Amino acid sequence: MSDRGLQDQVIRALADAPYRASPEWRRRALADPERVERYARFLARHFYYERIVHFFKYSRALARITGRRPEAVLRRPAFEALLPAIVLGSRESAQAVARLVAEYVSENDAGIPYMQDLLRYEQTMMVVEAGPRVWRETGTGDRGKGTGRLPETVEGTVLLALMYDLPTVLPKLLQPWTEVPQAPQRPARLLIARSPHGRVAVARSDAAVAAVLELADGRRTLADLARAARVEPAVMEEMLRGLIDLGALRFSTGS
Amino acid sequence: MAALMVGAFYNPHLGGELAVATGIDHLAMADPPAPTDPHWPVIKQRYTLLLHDYLGQLSEPLDERSIQRARSLADLYRSPWVAEHFQCLHTEDGAYNLNYVFPPLYTEEFLDRFVRNATALKTRLDQPLVMENIPGFFDVKASQMPEPVWLRRFFETTGVGFLLDLPHVWLEAHYHDMAPERWLAEFPLEHVVELHVAGVEQDADLEGPWIAPAEPSNEMLDFMAHAVERCPTAKAVTFDAFSPSLSGDVLFRSVERIREAL
Repeated sequence: MSDRGLQDQVIRALADAPYRASPEWRRRALADPERVERYARFLARHFYYERIVHFFKYSRALARITGRRPEAVLRRPAFEALLPAIVLGSRESAQAVARLVAEYVSENDAGIPYMQDLLRYEQTMMVVEAGPRVWRETGTGDRGKGTGRLPETVEGTVLLALMYDLPTVLPKLLQPWTEVPQAPQRPARLLIARSPHGRVAVARSDAAVAAVLELADGRRTLADLARAARVEPAVMEEMLRGLIDLGALRFSTGS
Repeated sequence: MAALMVGAFYNPHLGGELAVATGIDHLAMADPPAPTDPHWPVIKQRYTLLLHDYLGQLSEPLDERSIQRARSLADLYRSPWVAEHFQCLHTEDGAYNLNYVFPPLYTEEFLDRFVRNATALKTRLDQPLVMENIPGFFDVKASQMPEPVWLRRFFETTGVGFLLDLPHVWLEAHYHDMAPERWLAEFPLEHVVELHVAGVEQDADLEGPWIAPAEPSNEMLDFMAHAVERCPTAKAVTFDAFSPSLSGDVLFRSVERIREAL
């Protein structure tokens, strides 16, 4: 194995708790297991601290009313119990940690009517961000926007249906306030997607977007999607461009 | 030795205070300025700014997108040099990522990779490149040489500058039961362009000290004075703390104490 391959084994051992406990890793005896375990736990807390502070920033802004700082879960027994199964960056671990945060914060919603919607939104953001990412372009052009190829929905893209119009209240929560800003009670549908480089984006969605995301399976053409969504092909082309920029769609590379 | 610049990291939540502060010569930029940052225009106009962002890990070549990003940020900041780290924190296939600086194996293969990729990056920048040492909490048996030997060979081959992070040296010495001055003496100090100084605090997971957004102790400041005397080409000392939890008091007092200790 190359030295680069060995480095990957060390990185994986630090990131992937089940692998760290496996005979495959232990047999290699590359480093003091106790030190590796301590450092892995340090990294896990750091990894999720950064994500919780970022994705749950609105709940964090409400903590002076709710008394629940989202990042406090990182020192609670429930997070300790997750550590033996955590794989940094995996969607399953992001779901598990985000669920813990949401449960903890919702123990006191302080009568804020849109709290459950807010927690679902923040949880979704954190989960969508998870997963392998492209760290450097390979130059193969396999993610291009070439015409004539077939669009498909990117795995992990989420359409979120809310009872409150959260986008109107989110910026206000991060400004100074004395009374908790309120969100209008009207349905809102949001599209949450991630670019191949890991940037999470949110956009308002409608029935046409929902139809495209449901049907774009890498086999249907732009004309098929336009017919299903009941929009003109030119409008569909524009919509696809927007969805690709968000990271919600990509062109299938075929098989 | 020319007078050393003494500075800190730009922490946007302290932007208002930094915009009117005195006694700070430069600010290192760990992130690009937010488009909504009201203090950025004043910060840009008042300070020498040092590019200290994540550009990429030089165990692999930087792609064109990352190089253009580095060039554009260096141009925006008018940075006198561009900094990166001796780090290898994600797997080659991108499947695993530590999201925290982590050193490479100190082997011939990694030396070759870093020399090749740093040299390629250097030729694409209009400013000198400097590289920062990264601490290891544990030794990996596959390493073939001590870190300072690996670093010396890297700097001698590439002509890249050395960003010497002193708490990183101090921590490695601590975890190897060595005097930090003795460990420091092994490093190629003649290549140092910039030094980082920071505080350390006890970490519950590590059961020992680690880097923290805290004031440097008197011991760390003495260590810094000891190091600076041995770095004849050093141009700047930076208080290395970048965190939303960092208070203005800690930042300004740390810079002041660094200046006094020099």
